[in-house]
Amino acid sequence: MARPLIHRSPMPGLGLSAGITLTMLSLVVLLPIGALLLQGANFGLSNIWATVNRPRVWAALYLSFRLSLFAAIFNLVFGVLLAWVLVRYRFPGRRILDAAVDLPFALPTAVAGIALTALYAPNGVLGGFARDWLAPLGNLVFGPFGAQFTGKIAYTQLGIFIALVFVGLPFVTRTVQPVVEEIEREVEEASATLGASRAYTIRRVILPMLSPAALTGFALALARAVGEYGSVIFIAGNIPMLTEIAPLLIVIQLEEFNYDAAAAIGIAMLAISFAMLLAINLIQIWSRRRIGHV
Amino acid sequence: MSDTTLPVSARPSHFRAATDETPTARRVMIGLAVGGLLLLVFAPLIAVFAEALARGWGAAIASLGNRDSLAAIRLTLTIAAISVPLNAAFGIAAAWFITKFDFRGKAFLITLIDLPFSVSPVVAGLCIVLMFGANSAIGGWLVANGYPIVFALPGIVLATMFVTFPFVARELIPVMIEQGRAEEEAALTLGASGWRTFWTVTVPNIKWALLYGVLLCNARAMGEFGAVAVVSGKIRGQTATMPITIEMLYNEYLSVAAFSLAAVLTLLALLTLLFKTLLERHVAGQIAANHRH
Repeated sequence: MARPLIHRSPMPGLGLSAGITLTMLSLVVLLPIGALLLQGANFGLSNIWATVNRPRVWAALYLSFRLSLFAAIFNLVFGVLLAWVLVRYRFPGRRILDAAVDLPFALPTAVAGIALTALYAPNGVLGGFARDWLAPLGNLVFGPFGAQFTGKIAYTQLGIFIALVFVGLPFVTRTVQPVVEEIEREVEEASATLGASRAYTIRRVILPMLSPAALTGFALALARAVGEYGSVIFIAGNIPMLTEIAPLLIVIQLEEFNYDAAAAIGIAMLAISFAMLLAINLIQIWSRRRIGHV
Repeated sequence: MSDTTLPVSARPSHFRAATDETPTARRVMIGLAVGGLLLLVFAPLIAVFAEALARGWGAAIASLGNRDSLAAIRLTLTIAAISVPLNAAFGIAAAWFITKFDFRGKAFLITLIDLPFSVSPVVAGLCIVLMFGANSAIGGWLVANGYPIVFALPGIVLATMFVTFPFVARELIPVMIEQGRAEEEAALTLGASGWRTFWTVTVPNIKWALLYGVLLCNARAMGEFGAVAVVSGKIRGQTATMPITIEMLYNEYLSVAAFSLAAVLTLLALLTLLFKTLLERHVAGQIAANHRH
């Protein structure tokens, strides 16, 4: 027998709640996204490809996704460390630290953007320190970021990286924290009595338990970083081909009233982010299956 | 002196449980956590206030009193006052629909509600422009009849609602799933009307989660930049919200004015965090369920 679309229920308010939900969802989210897809459909797939397949657009998309990936990886490591320290250790100032983790959620992105720029600009406190002290050291560590490290942070890709780390900071910590709280000490004791060193226990027992939650946080941080605009544009310098992020290209196209090109880049961004989220979901399903529990 | 008077501790000082890290490892990890947060979170926080007060309190307060800043504060409050209650109403309706009824496609509906979280705010703004801009069919008709959406208040409200859409629903759904339907069913059996059941049974159960969702929704609504930047048109004194005005002042090198307005939003963020922490502590059980996705 076919399942009915909706089961009969004595609960009141079906019409009202369904009506409000579906009307508002359509008006605020679905129809506008539909308008974007419609604009793209009218523009045509080959035109979308022609718009995206230009060096400046490629450079922006590549920059956005590459730096978002780096920032999310940094947040994955630092977020797990932070969750562990906040749950397991007792030290003065722990509660303030715990509350401060959420600041990037609460602080408007434009405020974060100008604050980070003020700090990391060459005449800022941390920017000056980097130029005078970190520049010699930095060439070794930040080699993978491309250009030679001159001690300049704001208005370079390193500045964008810092802004993206800031906005994605809370995600991994907040998803991993409850899992650390639930780890039973007995599991660790069992591992220790069987002769495992502490490092081995952490690597083979604790980290696998944290990995599904950490991956969820990683995916959220990544999605957030890819679309981020407010905190990045101030610190980025916005030099075409070098420090121009993909969302900024959409804004530039809109300012020139080139709606087709804006829609094309928007659709490309949506497509790449959904593909990445899908891949992460698949990894997650795989890792859950391998470990055998949530 | 206490060393000689106190009995020797049962645990020698070098004792370490097998499930503890070495003191050195512990110190390094705490140091990394504190250092990282100092650099990433506390430093920007201090920078906002330091830059705002760079020329003293007088200059900072005077810069807030100019016409554009006051108009921006008024606009941001107006937008939050419209979009947050609308999203709260949506959140309650969606949570009621999803948790009190069984229907096909429920998981899909939840995915659609969460969709705005994985869409870039700039793309969200773009969608609103393409839907309601003067070039679109609907937008053109509305503009012709004197109701412009884009580059006007309704567009900013719509963009704000888009990016904050899931906040309240996401907090309410897990709480209402955990509460179940038994209490409402009992009230209905005893003859209470639907609305009476809602106000006297459901609302008391969900009020803290609702407040929590509204708090997060409000913080984001007042601070939204990317989506609003696309739809507002940045007309000084008319469609420039607080974050947009901060950008304009900053780009004009009016540092004190920009950071003073930013400091107001930062105080709001700190207040939000304070309320959030207090809420989490008072109703730990109810809200904690949400954060175990």
